[in-house]
Amino acid sequence: MGGRRLLAKMAEAVVLVLLCFFIFGPITGLVLWSVALRWYWPHTLPQEVGMDYWLQALGLRKSLAIGAVSITDSFNTSLVIALIVVVAVMIIATPVGYVLAKYSIPFKSAILLLFLMPQAFPQQPVFVNLLLIFSKAGLAGTVTGVLLVHLMVCLVFAVWITSAAFKSVPPELEEASRSIGASGLRTFVRITLPLAAPGLLASAVFVFLTSLDEFTGTFFIGLPFVTTLPMMLYSFSGYNLQFASVIALVLLVPSILFMVIIERFLKAEYIGGIGV
Amino acid sequence: MRSGSSVANAKSMERKGRGGWLLPFLLLLPAIGLMLALYAYPFASSIYRSFLSSEGTLTLANYAKVRELYLRDVLFSLEVSLLSTAIAAVLSIALAAYLRLASGSIVRLVGAIYRFPIFIPFVVVAQMMGTFLAPHGLLNIFLAQIGLVNLEAPLQLLNWKGLTFGFVWKQAPFMTLIVLSGFGMVDDTYIEAARSVGARLPQVIVRILVPMSRATIAVALILAFTSTVGTFTLPYMLIGGKIPTTLTVDIAHRVTYFGDYGVANALGTLAYLMVIFTAVYYLRYTVRRGIYEYQER
Repeated sequence: MGGRRLLAKMAEAVVLVLLCFFIFGPITGLVLWSVALRWYWPHTLPQEVGMDYWLQALGLRKSLAIGAVSITDSFNTSLVIALIVVVAVMIIATPVGYVLAKYSIPFKSAILLLFLMPQAFPQQPVFVNLLLIFSKAGLAGTVTGVLLVHLMVCLVFAVWITSAAFKSVPPELEEASRSIGASGLRTFVRITLPLAAPGLLASAVFVFLTSLDEFTGTFFIGLPFVTTLPMMLYSFSGYNLQFASVIALVLLVPSILFMVIIERFLKAEYIGGIGV
Repeated sequence: MRSGSSVANAKSMERKGRGGWLLPFLLLLPAIGLMLALYAYPFASSIYRSFLSSEGTLTLANYAKVRELYLRDVLFSLEVSLLSTAIAAVLSIALAAYLRLASGSIVRLVGAIYRFPIFIPFVVVAQMMGTFLAPHGLLNIFLAQIGLVNLEAPLQLLNWKGLTFGFVWKQAPFMTLIVLSGFGMVDDTYIEAARSVGARLPQVIVRILVPMSRATIAVALILAFTSTVGTFTLPYMLIGGKIPTTLTVDIAHRVTYFGDYGVANALGTLAYLMVIFTAVYYLRYTVRRGIYEYQER
């Protein structure tokens, strides 16, 4: 029995090592490349390491020798877009989440369908046709166009998550508030909203992350004029591995931060839509 | 007359308070308008335009061109999506079963680290895989160190193999998260009962956990498959215009190089068709169950 248990523990350890290699191997590559000043085949590790590309990328040093520019502009573009999208999406999505959670309305299935379709079908053809529509409207290649496409992508998730948040507020509490004479609005502000707040916050954070990482929509609508961080990464990925690795790691930071903070508020299904 | 109208007023107020539909519809209007304009219209347009020639007449020429030029790629997309979803499904069920059934410090560690890839966007995954799987990338170097690969003839992975690896890397943890939530709802008593009549681990998984979590596993499979069929970023950055490539890459080429929306939309419509069965199942399941249901954790 003791031998079998030892065997099981060893098998577990092997699984752990394989999993670590599978998950962290690719990331290690990024880290190594981001600090590799010289790394020529067949050397196993970089021959010369340093933070030059990091300093250059973060705008802390300017050097023409390593042929890369700063990421601060595209970082700011991404940040501004993401913040506007968060505000706009939360204003539009919160009432929808509330209505879907608390009211029985006609055509509810059709409305749910509209907000579920983008998750059930590939979105790329939609972006392609938005490009066509936006080109005629003069929105292609503009920040406004990118904002609109991010708005569409994020709205779906925001509606789901806010509606889950409102659904989790027990109706008994709202009824109790109404029965002692509080108005509908007062009940919403004093009872429903505070109780749903963590879910709403999770939704806002999720929208921020989705917008920050959005690639495909920005690729079709924004390029070549709107350069967000993922677009910057794409344009460097072919020929400047160090710089691309730095941007990739910069994009990893918010992802990991938010994973730790909001994951427990989120249902697994939402998460699959990030950064497509 | 006066009293009549005030009664009507009171009635209408009561109806609103109890869930009349005018106020809710006003609240829904902006979001529905946006979704119709920015999603439903271009979605319908992508199907309609796949049957339009460049002169605007109805035609099947776009599909003929797809058959002539891109049949290999359409099949390639389907093969890679099916293969990576299948591999990710097996891995995620095994991992979720391990996390559900085992206990101890190693399990807690595994439970913490397996989620890592879930939040990482595809653009970062693509960059990672590009450097990790390259002929002289970290994987080949590592395998050469332990003597499995000769670096003069390294593994060529920037093709369907690397693409599958990348998709599995991203989708398997995500599927594990969903499957595990399903396994979590299977009561311990079933597992103990099976064990007490002598069921071994594989039997517990195949006979108890998986059948009792069928619906959850189906959702995990569907979301992963749909996402894989529709993902543009990873194949575009990892294998680009190589032959064969995925239809998402072909769509981008058709649009950016040729401005050919007809063929791009025919390819897009084929992508819709690839997921039509899974999409219908998912939509029916989710609408019936209600999208807002909080999962018990």
